[in-house]
Amino acid sequence: MTGFSGRHSVHGLLCFLLAGLVSCAIVLAGCGGTKQAANGEKVFRYGTMAYGVAMYNAGMNPHKSYNGWSTIRYGVGETLFRFNDKMQPVPWLATGYDRPDAYTVRIRIRDGVTFSNGKPCDAEAVAACLRHLVKVHERAKGNLKLTSVTARGNVVTLRSSQKTASLIHQLCDPYGCIVDVSQDLQDDTKVIGTGPFLTESLTPTEIHLRRNPRYWGGPVRTDKVIVKSITDGEMLTMALQNGEVDAVQGMPYSSIVLFEGAKDKFKILSVPTSRVFQAALNFRTPALQDGRVRAAICMALNKQQFIHALLNDNGYAAIGTFPGNLPYGGSKVHDDGYNPDKARALLAEAGYKDTDGDGYVDKDGKNLELRWLTYTSRQELPLLATAMQGYLKKIGIRLDVNATDNAGDFLKKGDWDIYAKAIVTAPTGDPQYYIANHFTAQSAHNDGRYRNPAVDALVQQFSGEFNPERRGQLAIAIVQQVLDDHAFLYASHLRMNLVMRNGIRGFVPHPCDYYEVTKDLDVTGEGR
Amino acid sequence: MSKPVVKRLLLLIPVLFGISVVTFLLMHVSAEDAVDVMYQQSGAVSESVKAATRARLGLDQPLPVQYALWLRSLFLGTSRSIGTGQPVSAMVLAKLPATLFLTVSSLALTVAVSLPLGVHCALHKDKVSDYIVRIVSFAGNALPGFFVSFLLLYYVAVRLHWLPVMGDGSWQSYILPACSLALPMTAKYTRYIRGEFLRELGKPYVAASLLRGIPYAVILRRFVLKSASLTLITVLALSVGSLLGGTAIIESIFRIDGIGNMAVRAILMKDYPVIQAYVLWTAGIYTVVNLAADLLYHHFDPRIVATDTSEGGGRHD
Amino acid sequence: MTDAKALRRIRLFLFLAVVLLVVAAFADHLAPHDPYLQDLDLSLLPPGGAYPLGTDRFGRCVLSRVLAGSTISIYTSLAVVALTFVLGTVTGLVAGFCGGWVDTVLMRITDVFLAFPVLVFAIVAAAMFGGIGGSQFSGLTGAILALALISWPKYARLVRSQVLAVRNKPFISAARFSGCSKADILFRQILPLAIAPTFLMMTADIGTMLLEMAGLSFLGLGVQPPAAEWGLMISSGRSLLQTAPWVIFAPGAALFITVTIFNLLGDSIHDYMETRFGKGD
Repeated sequence: MTGFSGRHSVHGLLCFLLAGLVSCAIVLAGCGGTKQAANGEKVFRYGTMAYGVAMYNAGMNPHKSYNGWSTIRYGVGETLFRFNDKMQPVPWLATGYDRPDAYTVRIRIRDGVTFSNGKPCDAEAVAACLRHLVKVHERAKGNLKLTSVTARGNVVTLRSSQKTASLIHQLCDPYGCIVDVSQDLQDDTKVIGTGPFLTESLTPTEIHLRRNPRYWGGPVRTDKVIVKSITDGEMLTMALQNGEVDAVQGMPYSSIVLFEGAKDKFKILSVPTSRVFQAALNFRTPALQDGRVRAAICMALNKQQFIHALLNDNGYAAIGTFPGNLPYGGSKVHDDGYNPDKARALLAEAGYKDTDGDGYVDKDGKNLELRWLTYTSRQELPLLATAMQGYLKKIGIRLDVNATDNAGDFLKKGDWDIYAKAIVTAPTGDPQYYIANHFTAQSAHNDGRYRNPAVDALVQQFSGEFNPERRGQLAIAIVQQVLDDHAFLYASHLRMNLVMRNGIRGFVPHPCDYYEVTKDLDVTGEGR
Repeated sequence: MSKPVVKRLLLLIPVLFGISVVTFLLMHVSAEDAVDVMYQQSGAVSESVKAATRARLGLDQPLPVQYALWLRSLFLGTSRSIGTGQPVSAMVLAKLPATLFLTVSSLALTVAVSLPLGVHCALHKDKVSDYIVRIVSFAGNALPGFFVSFLLLYYVAVRLHWLPVMGDGSWQSYILPACSLALPMTAKYTRYIRGEFLRELGKPYVAASLLRGIPYAVILRRFVLKSASLTLITVLALSVGSLLGGTAIIESIFRIDGIGNMAVRAILMKDYPVIQAYVLWTAGIYTVVNLAADLLYHHFDPRIVATDTSEGGGRHD
Repeated sequence: MTDAKALRRIRLFLFLAVVLLVVAAFADHLAPHDPYLQDLDLSLLPPGGAYPLGTDRFGRCVLSRVLAGSTISIYTSLAVVALTFVLGTVTGLVAGFCGGWVDTVLMRITDVFLAFPVLVFAIVAAAMFGGIGGSQFSGLTGAILALALISWPKYARLVRSQVLAVRNKPFISAARFSGCSKADILFRQILPLAIAPTFLMMTADIGTMLLEMAGLSFLGLGVQPPAAEWGLMISSGRSLLQTAPWVIFAPGAALFITVTIFNLLGDSIHDYMETRFGKGD
């Protein structure tokens, strides 16, 4: 090819284009970076995994779906009672209650509480709100079974068709946020609660809140709160590292390590929750009908090692259903502990020995093989599944892991031997909720079809027992029986972490995961 | 509009219909439905509560009835998401701009980089720079997109603080995602343009024109560049299809509120009105874009009949 | 370049590709440790000593897992490509040869699949077929089917256009006049010419399928843990980028090398065809 000059003119033009593009990008990139607060306002930027469409809480109306969690977490709404650190209900918008009979509760409403629009939050307003709640919210209606809600003076009277032993606890559920029902609840920015913040704007991925100047509880320290939904663990980590958010909830365990080493800039606040990672054994599987096999499986898991190596110590070894910070949980019950030798001995007793030297025990010519079913939306579950493969292999059981988002399909079809899930065991501080749903013949979530009439009888007693201590003792007895039967394996309880830069004050995690943004939240310049 | 074009557009309708039926059926193969997924969170919801929710959402009707109801809601514009209750059309229209912006910007970036580079390599064939660019473009094509984006994110955003990590609506936040998408495409198209350019240059008319005294630059600009660009257009148009569907991963990593992100969530939540809308929109856009590319091709080179792109095209990543 | 040089390049990359296939086939024997053996006390060891590429979160040898992953990743994409080739070629042949309404119907079906967003189809197919194939590889069948079903259209189109181009050539009419049966013409004359260009597409697709599978793993579909598949290893090790980078870079490098080799192979075949058969075929 000849003609250099001609070739170069076209070539040169194109190269110029390229160079121009690249330099533009570099120049303009320099204009990116972290956002600063404008005009001395205190702005709190919060990145969380717990908000969004996939959590069904992308809204502010507590009478819809799980939106109440957002209402209460981000300081827009408050409930009549709230939980203290021991998960016991204490007064909040209410000052107390009494029970004239087993089916009625009378609640005294606090004086001087106002909604953020200035209207008084009195007994009438509370009654109207609760009436609306049980009219439109299927879950609340099913849980509370209220037959009438009336107000007189500063007292609201609730009548239910079932005994009200746990009614006060139920009202602490986020759907119980008291809102002004004379407003249009369809528009999330117009949902009026009693809390320290108001909603300025809301999308499924971001909420902007500003302080409520009329907050009944006192002055609110922070002016603006921006909640960002971040569903990817890596993004959460990098956003905090990059200073694009001030605090983060839901950081992957392996990334927390990065912040533990940076104590001059960041701090980590943790709290034990009642969410447990558990495995249900399927009583319909022939091999699992032998109690010795079930016991062997329970003894094979080294909970401490699992938590240390895979959860980076972000968990508490579980013995029974309930965590140690509840009066009826923790070491109030006992299990067999980690004992692989005894596990192997039990399997041998049950007729399982490794006769062909392939590393797995067998009986009648067939290896002992089990199917572990779980889902992946909680990072701990696939970790537990894979770890159990290793642990069970050590005692000679072959475990096939099926970790899939369609776990529900397999569950319904009965296509599993062990089903692992994560569940909050005491969302309202009361043990009855979990126990009634998992251990009896009528339970909706007794996936493995565990049956023990003694347990059924004990659970029956709950509905008539109003004394909290005796309820606790019932819970202990029931859980112990379940552990002795080796129907469920409880691996660990979740430790929830909030990672934030040092300048954030008053932002504290709570065991029940309901309360996050409060009037005490304060933003200072440290750690930027 | 000419007859073949109208025919092509009309054929779109049965295709869209077929897609919607297939999607509908596939969504209902699973034993779980949207209500099951919805209440997984609380873990202790009785069947009566679930039944009440299903009745409210119309999910307890037989399948053909549900499909007919959905079709009706589509035409009336009242189709609503099961997860949020929002009207689906509003959701899609709100999120479409973000995805389109991402698609267009990554395509523009690709063309802006691969065209000059490809031409350069063709003109400096087998020289050092040619080899370097070819090796780098191989590299760009051999890594999964999400991996590249994390590497980019980590080094550019966290280490160098040049760019923000998250999508916050500002156009700067589109730079990294557009680059992640553009990288594999640039790699592929640089090689492609180089090949096409070389092919054109080797054609007899080039040598003939040179002999007749037409300046090389004019030949390059007038004929070679144009014909190489034409094939590029067709190939790019096919990329749009996979881009529209494939931005989902990038959107969820970079937290961009586009329809890809919306689709992933909807599929996991079995929110079929949203999924249907996504499928219809992307299929529609893809077909229209291809039609436009065919027309453009036909306009510049009337020898090609604009009724079917039966080249070996297909999905390109 | 010259014919000879092009041929040399093909031989070089073919050799490398075969090496890869052999390594993938004998991965079991080459691995220093059991890729699925866990020891939580050895979690996240950096490369060196008994573990040349370090260990992952479960204390499993990364090198062994990368080798095991080669088997799964490479042979799965070969399976997908083979499936796609068969489906696409048959459809294209039939459509191109028969013409008429058969052609129209087949091409409209192809259109539907082409217009289908990759993501929806992949997820739903992976979900639908996820139950087949036992638990450890439960997602694998779904992934293979999903990827194959959305990739066959382009083969169909290519083969069909080749058939259309060749069908009316003089030598075909000559064959018909001389009494060859339709089947004979189809298989002996048309088929070889029609599928020639697909070979190039297939080698390119091996790399593409590997990357698509990695993408599916990222979304949590396709292969499930604890399978040692490269894409899965990369996506589940993501959060370790800053703390234990070897866990992701090892499978990432393996993926990179493999895809590059297959791409180079495809490219060298393409270059050879260009020099041999001229420009603008």
